[in-house]
Amino acid sequence: MKLSHSLASFLLLFCASAALAQGTSPSLSVAPIGTLVITRGGKAQLDIALQVNRGFHVNSNKPNDELLLPTVVHLNPPQGIMIVNIQYPAGEQLALPMIGNEKLSVYTGAFNVSAEVRIQKSVALGTQRVHGEVKYQACDNRQCFPPKTAPLEFDIKVVRPKVRKSTYTPASPHIR
Amino acid sequence: MVVVVAGLLLMGKFRGKFTAGARTGPVAADKGSAAPDFVLSDLQGHTVKLSDLRGKAVVLNFWATWCPPCKAEIPWFIELQKRYGAQGLQVVGVSMDDGDQKDVEKFAAENSINYPVLFGKDSVADQYGGISYLPTTFYIDRNGVVLNRVFGQAGRDEIEQDVKRAIDSKAHS
Repeated sequence: MKLSHSLASFLLLFCASAALAQGTSPSLSVAPIGTLVITRGGKAQLDIALQVNRGFHVNSNKPNDELLLPTVVHLNPPQGIMIVNIQYPAGEQLALPMIGNEKLSVYTGAFNVSAEVRIQKSVALGTQRVHGEVKYQACDNRQCFPPKTAPLEFDIKVVRPKVRKSTYTPASPHIR
Repeated sequence: MVVVVAGLLLMGKFRGKFTAGARTGPVAADKGSAAPDFVLSDLQGHTVKLSDLRGKAVVLNFWATWCPPCKAEIPWFIELQKRYGAQGLQVVGVSMDDGDQKDVEKFAAENSINYPVLFGKDSVADQYGGISYLPTTFYIDRNGVVLNRVFGQAGRDEIEQDVKRAIDSKAHS
C-alpha cells in the first residue's frame, strides 16, 4: 500500500514536471477561429488570437533590424474572397542585457492580428474554408530557435444579403 | 490504483509531446567524442574541411544573422581570434541562415569577421546533434576531440576559459 502510494506520488510529480516543462517549448499557438458569417458582397473583421509561450518572444511584424525575421500571417482565401488590410500590433521594445544596447521589437504572451474579409457578389452561398499560416521565429534571453510555421484555418459562411423591409409607405390610392 | 493508471496515462501523453522533435539515440559530438568531420564552403567559395584544422584549437560556432544572441558573441570571437590566433586558435563560424547568402556576406564584411564563415547545411547540423538552438558552440582540442559544447549565448569569460582549455590541449604526434 505504502509502495503504491509512493509510486502514485512519483508519477504525479513526474507528470506535473512534464506539464510545466511543456511551457519551455518555444511555440506560438493560434486560437481556434470561429466561423465568420458574411453576406455576399459584404465584409467582416477577422481576428486572429496568438499566444507565445512564457519565457519566449517572437519578432514583431516590423523588427528593428532588417536581418531579423518578422512575424507574418499568410492567408490563402478561395476565389472571390479577399483578405485585405492585415493589421499587426506594434512590437514591445525589449532590451536584453546579454545582447548589449540593441532593443528588439517583439511580441510576448497574447497578441492579435486582424484583417478585413471581403466577399465578392459572385461568390456562391455556403461555407468555404480558408487556410493560412503564421511564420515566426522565437528566441529567449540566451538563444534563438529556427524559424517555424503555425498553420491556421477558419470557415466563412457566405449568406444571402437580408432583404431590407422597405420603409416606403405607399400613399393611399385615394389620396390624389 | 486509479491514480497510478491515470498517472501512467498522463505520463504517456506528456512523453509523446516531449519527444516530438527531440533528439533520440546517442547525441552526436558529445564531450570527449571526435568532432564529426565535414566539408563546407566559405564566403569566398573555397571549401574548408574540419579535419584539415587538426593540430589547432577550434571553436566551431553555429550561428545565424537572425539570431541576436549569436551576433552578441561574434565581437568576442573576433577579439579572441586576434589574441590567441598565434597560439593555434581557429574560430570557425557556420551560418545556419536559410535565406540569401548575401546577407551573411554583408554581415561578415560589416563586422570585419576575421575568421572563416562557412555556409551550413542540415546534414552537418545533424552530425552535430541537430542544432536545435542558436548559438551552439563546440570547443574542439588539437586532436579533434570535443572538449565542450555550449547551447545558447555564453558570457565572454566563459568563452575565453573554453578557448584556453582548447589551446592548452597537446596534439598527439
